[in-house]
Amino acid sequence: MAEEHFDLVTIGAGSGGVRASRFAATLYGAKVACVELPFGFVASEEIGGAGGTCVIRGCVPKKLLVYGAAFAEEFADARGFGWDLAAGQAGPAHDWASLVQLKDKEIRRLNTTYGNILKNAGVTSIEGRGKLLDANTVEVTALDGSKRILKAKHILIATGGVATKIPIEGAEHAIISDEALALERLPEGPIAVLGAGYIATEFAGIFRGTHRHPVHLMFRGDKVLRGFDEECRDQVQENLVRRGVTVHPGCRPTKIVKQGDGSLVLHYVDGSGAEQQLGCALVMMATGRKPRVEGLGLEAVGIKMDSAGAISVDEFSRTSVPGVWAVGDVTNRINLTPVALMEGMAFAKHVLRFDVVPVSGQDVGTCSSQFKDGFSVGLGYTEEQATKEFSGNIDVYVSRFRPMKYTISGREEKTLMKLIVHAESDKVLGCHMVGPDAPEIMQGLAVALKCEATKAQFDSTVGIHPTAAEEFVTMRSRTRRVPGTGSRAP
Amino acid sequence: MNVAKLSTSIGLSARVAASASGEFDYDLFTLGAGSGGVRGSRFASSYGAKVAVAELPFDYVSSDTKGGVGGTCVLRGCVPKKLMVYASEYADDFKAAAGFGWAVPHEHVTHSWTAFIEAKRKELQRLNGAYKNTLKNAKVELIEGRGRVVDGHTVEVDGKRFTARNILIAVGGRPTKLPIPGAELCITSDEALELPDCPKKVAVLGGGYIAVEFSGIFSRMGSEVHTVFRQPLPLRGFDEEVRKFAAEQYAAAGLHLHPGVTPQSVARQPDGKLSLTVAHADGSTETLTGLDQVMMATGRVPNTANLGLAEAGVTLGKRGQVLVDEYCRTSVPSIWAVGDVIDRIQLTPVALMEGMAVAKSVVLGQLTSPDYWAVPSAVFSNPEIATVVRPSCGGWGVVVDAASQKVVGMHMVGAEAGEIMQGFAVAVKVGVTKAQLDSVVGIHPSAAEEFVTMRTVTRKVRKDA
Repeated sequence: MAEEHFDLVTIGAGSGGVRASRFAATLYGAKVACVELPFGFVASEEIGGAGGTCVIRGCVPKKLLVYGAAFAEEFADARGFGWDLAAGQAGPAHDWASLVQLKDKEIRRLNTTYGNILKNAGVTSIEGRGKLLDANTVEVTALDGSKRILKAKHILIATGGVATKIPIEGAEHAIISDEALALERLPEGPIAVLGAGYIATEFAGIFRGTHRHPVHLMFRGDKVLRGFDEECRDQVQENLVRRGVTVHPGCRPTKIVKQGDGSLVLHYVDGSGAEQQLGCALVMMATGRKPRVEGLGLEAVGIKMDSAGAISVDEFSRTSVPGVWAVGDVTNRINLTPVALMEGMAFAKHVLRFDVVPVSGQDVGTCSSQFKDGFSVGLGYTEEQATKEFSGNIDVYVSRFRPMKYTISGREEKTLMKLIVHAESDKVLGCHMVGPDAPEIMQGLAVALKCEATKAQFDSTVGIHPTAAEEFVTMRSRTRRVPGTGSRAP
Repeated sequence: MNVAKLSTSIGLSARVAASASGEFDYDLFTLGAGSGGVRGSRFASSYGAKVAVAELPFDYVSSDTKGGVGGTCVLRGCVPKKLMVYASEYADDFKAAAGFGWAVPHEHVTHSWTAFIEAKRKELQRLNGAYKNTLKNAKVELIEGRGRVVDGHTVEVDGKRFTARNILIAVGGRPTKLPIPGAELCITSDEALELPDCPKKVAVLGGGYIAVEFSGIFSRMGSEVHTVFRQPLPLRGFDEEVRKFAAEQYAAAGLHLHPGVTPQSVARQPDGKLSLTVAHADGSTETLTGLDQVMMATGRVPNTANLGLAEAGVTLGKRGQVLVDEYCRTSVPSIWAVGDVIDRIQLTPVALMEGMAVAKSVVLGQLTSPDYWAVPSAVFSNPEIATVVRPSCGGWGVVVDAASQKVVGMHMVGAEAGEIMQGFAVAVKVGVTKAQLDSVVGIHPSAAEEFVTMRTVTRKVRKDA
């Protein structure tokens, strides 16, 4: 079989893979091949597509569905502003199929765009399943079974991750996020979402906005969104309940039984230890994702994995085998598109130019949106993390208020904003927010944090009025002071 | 007359003692309980001063005898304007909803302007009450009535006199009309916020932020809007590229823009509607007919008439504004002024900053000057515009000083521009460089992340050596 030679072969044309491939080719003149599975909405061992999780079954379709579902809130709030939609108390009806069709159209467009990005960058796109034969050889198997051998100076693994289910009896009756985004219609009856992370809470919000039947959110812990600031977690949970999602904390699912009529019964153990049942039309498991490392030939080549099953890399995204690199969700560092982009870019610079660019996860904002208006974003340290990490005192500023839009729409929801400040140095260690437009508001603050802004600098910045954001530069009174128990000085 | 400046090294205790001993009724007497006046008053009080503030009785529309605690911002500016923008945005949402699978019965969707105005009024009353509580909790005495200055240490409110060690003028501004025939038939922003219903066809005169904001509001609500201004582009003072882009977007959103024309007269038609005649640069005239309203958003002037200022020795400028130094001190050492009445940057947060500075200067003896560097602002037109610092020469998006690589200006036109720009304003204040901006990871998906992913220089602007 003829061998094709490249400077770089990338396996995976998602966020990290495309970024690395195109910039390696355009900025550094490398000869690059990018291997990706054929396009499809639900991922499998045979199905993927250029654009990856973010574009096809993650960030982008999720955001479109969140927007679509958000209109339910707009219709309700509009009444307070004098609007009458002539659609009764329940408001206008929603057709899920139309929303999914809109989403599908947009995803296909973006998938084509990503293909064009690679083409315009001079990257050779190869459709098929890639596998390492050794540290410099990738074998690609096409749909029809034919194979190609690619020789590479460097190999980049950017195969991303996949959704996982909890291994309970009847798990096959539950769907994962891929399928939720591809549902042709919502079934009549309650929907139960299992999980407490951002994916679970976001889908609970999406379903709540578009579904006429009850939506349940069930998880084992006591609160949603582990890893976010505690006060923010409480605010998000309060918002979910206020918007009509039935939240079941402290509950452990045990099995799913399918009935004769196609409906499901979800069996679980509740917080008091009692066995309970919940009749549903649909159960979605958003209980975790894991790196996609199967069938890549990694073990044979000697690539070390970590205890979580991810490819082990150093701060330059190098694996244990020289010449083989990995970025994005497959390395399970911070599973966010912009981080994958950052890792991909750093890799491109390093591998071909030897500019040493270590990747730092320090100032990455974590963002989760339950509803269009129910965003929560955290930057830097949470109150709990700051207290544990630093010596000295941690000053916490908390502002909880009803945003202007809700004052006359009558919505009872509050926006929460927090600043975490190191008292002695006045450095702002963290910013957190739950409320409408949080991602838009927090982006600029992320820059301020990167510049190591102090509270005094925040305060000296004039507000933009009227906005919600200006609250961040007008927090005059400290809410509490917590002594740091760590040893670091910021 | 060169009055010796009041010594500011007198300690706080001496000031309080002076009031307590009866030398003056108050340490500080403020005229105007708007943004600047309330901020200055309550902080002065929190620093230990004895403070009173005079404000006209409450009404939605202002006049020589009507105002209200909260001032322009709360009662007839920022707040009701933003509520009205929110109300109008729903119209766009309903249109967009169909694409997302919603069955909105467009033919049957109605809006009750009176229901909205009622809700707005209720909210304004709540805020007016909240501001009154703020003053009360800060132990500031609120005196209702029309205040005026008698001399450097004396004010008079509806005939009753009070003495004060310091006086703060914070009476704000008011809309002006063009002095053309038929001006009395026209409304200003005050009345626009109190209309009985939404005009079906409206002419908005002016090209500033108030004109474009109301144009956007009426247009979204379904009005045919004609925005009439003398300049070739709206928003004079903004970056040229922003002005051009904004004009294109406004037109795309449905506004009928009439640039480069001068309003001549307004008349009442036999059917009760209005007509507006304008003149083009070449002398030809044009008349817009069938207008339900003509709104003049052609300027605001400081409210300095009949306050006794000139008589008390306070120097005024050409537009009637109170002239102040960098500490907001007038030509009379015991009289200070903040907010729209000094006509520096007419924004609520700036008035707040000025009020705070005066409170520190006057009560704590720490002469404090407000810092006007990197003041951000937003225009809530359709689409929104937000800026941090307006550089004099062109730039789009992010303007970087080539030598220092510091970001000296940012602009944005688009949804949520106001919310997006605030955080960046902090960064600009801190002195962020382009490299630092680029190194920040984007929050995804958002519109804001565009600002941290601008890799290619559009063009370099170099100042002449």
